[in-house]
Amino acid sequence: MATQTATANRPKQGLTVDEKIQKLRELYADAPEVGRAALEHGLPMLTQELAAPPHAQKAGRIGLRQGQVSELCVFLPFVKGGAKRLRGLLQLLEGNFRAADAVGTVHDMRFVFVDNDTKLLFATAYDGDFDPYIEDFATKIPNAMDLWLCNCEGYPGMRNPKAAADWIASHQIAAEAWYVNSPNLTAAETRRLEKVGKAVEELLDKIG
Amino acid sequence: MSSVTESLGGNVSTSAPALDLHEIQATVLRPRPAPYFGAHVLLRIDDARAGREFIRRLAPHIASATNWWNAATAWLEIGISYAGLEALGLPKESLQSFPEAFRVGMAARAKQLGDDGVNDPRNWEKPFGQGQVHIGVSAFSDSEENRRRALAVAREQYEGFSGVSVLAMQDFGAQPGDLNSLGYKDGIDQPAIEGSGVEPRPGYGRPIKAGEFILGYPGEAGILLPMPQPDILGRNSTYAGFRKYQTRVGAFNRFLRANGSTEEEREWVAAKLVGRWRSGAPLTLAPDVDNPALGADPQRNNNFDYANDPRGRQVPFGCHIRRMNPRDTKLTRLTDVNIHRLIRRGTTYGPPYDPNALSEADDEVPRGAIFLFISAKAMATIEFLQQEWINDGDFIGANGERDPIIGRQEEGATFTIPKEPVRRRIRGIETFNVLRGGEYFFMPSISALNWLANLSG
Repeated sequence: MATQTATANRPKQGLTVDEKIQKLRELYADAPEVGRAALEHGLPMLTQELAAPPHAQKAGRIGLRQGQVSELCVFLPFVKGGAKRLRGLLQLLEGNFRAADAVGTVHDMRFVFVDNDTKLLFATAYDGDFDPYIEDFATKIPNAMDLWLCNCEGYPGMRNPKAAADWIASHQIAAEAWYVNSPNLTAAETRRLEKVGKAVEELLDKIG
Repeated sequence: MSSVTESLGGNVSTSAPALDLHEIQATVLRPRPAPYFGAHVLLRIDDARAGREFIRRLAPHIASATNWWNAATAWLEIGISYAGLEALGLPKESLQSFPEAFRVGMAARAKQLGDDGVNDPRNWEKPFGQGQVHIGVSAFSDSEENRRRALAVAREQYEGFSGVSVLAMQDFGAQPGDLNSLGYKDGIDQPAIEGSGVEPRPGYGRPIKAGEFILGYPGEAGILLPMPQPDILGRNSTYAGFRKYQTRVGAFNRFLRANGSTEEEREWVAAKLVGRWRSGAPLTLAPDVDNPALGADPQRNNNFDYANDPRGRQVPFGCHIRRMNPRDTKLTRLTDVNIHRLIRRGTTYGPPYDPNALSEADDEVPRGAIFLFISAKAMATIEFLQQEWINDGDFIGANGERDPIIGRQEEGATFTIPKEPVRRRIRGIETFNVLRGGEYFFMPSISALNWLANLSG
């Protein structure tokens, strides 16, 4: 287990910067003219990136993570009538997601209907790993989860949390790359810092 | 009997227990006696037939939980590891029905458990983590004499025939005042279990669904957890995580001295780390000075919540007891605290805590605690606790800090004590309890034990 992770975090194939640039030149040899030019003009910044220590980590079962923040992206086929129901639900909610607030680790969520309303693309950034908390979802917010996911094929229901977690993982597509601006800020820490910042401003207002 | 029942649980319930108490091992429900004396014996099975014969002979001496609320002078408990079940010749399809974390064992799950650095299985004592420990037998008793008697009963069953060998034996208990290896009264808070036949004492919260702790009953989510097969093996059985910690008493005392110039200050810091004074008195009920009478009173020493302490000024968010049972604390992550609880049987071993032990040599004195963490999903719960509540702090607003008592600390670790007008941040937290070994055990029901003993092959 430990060795696997170490391998995953090591720079791919252990190439030197020059070797990486060479590899890029090969990859871009048959790129459109604009791409080949960009490679040559962009080398100064690319060189810095290629020389930096690797920054990507694995999230829970599938997906990528930077610092505290993980990515999750699933393609879920709709059941018959599922797209219509979910669209209606989302429209009526008008951007209010109390269950996501309650979960506390969710940075963002997007619901995208693709392939002629046959599939849902759901993508989110969240803290840590969701597997350890799947049973908490089952006892705390089963209805919010079921209302949404009942519209997708094969969903076993939140009353069976392990099966639900397996089902989500089975539809997950790992991102090839993942960037987080503040990888050490969890959603909770962000809210705390917001409060601290406000308190500091208030204090400064009083002094000034 | 009322005084006895009060010392073990709460009042005996007027409704009959809903659990098959005669099937469940006593240790699952019965707390250790006070004072307590006992021993853990770790065994290896070298021959399947001999192993089954040993189990067949020992089974009648394994106590069931019938009338568990009555005090007992001594009892025996048994756990079998996955390697042990293999060694006993359990059929393949049955072996495959156990959860993965149990099958691979605690050492192989070090990554999920955060058992790295000084706690890495590579640093564990023999025979832990090598697939050698097949059976754990524990004796609990109320006196030295009864410990001897209980151990003699166990020994009679394995001594004198080849095929079962003793790998290690560890006496525990007999600490003055039953204090743990850091000098605290421990083992106070335990989850109350629905249908166990006893009403919870004040402050213990509503009884939690039995399926969280014993296989074959609905859990908090209203469903049965997957059970090992066949049914007779799973029902009324459970799991125990066995973890042996070595206490670095010198490091702990040096830390207290560096952060408190008088004994009073040191005791204040010591209380803040745990959330209780060493007497057991909770800081919620005795915020400023210790109250030993409160600490000793089982009707009062756990009777609190955090409604009046939302900012952690009495009980720091990052302290041991608020992490291990946040009660009504507002957590940053959606959490059902009732599904992350463990029954724990803490057993202190080695010489008693010495407040004047300051040297590095004192850190190496074999002294500490062996825990049995019991739950129907012990592996998942221990991993959750290690990852989220022990070796992290984000869930409770103690970002970047770890449990000061059982956490595996990084260099430069801190502990924050919320305080008026400004918080105090203490430095120099070290890994005060080092993990020296661990195993996962299956705790078979009485019927499962007999079924195992009668396997053929």
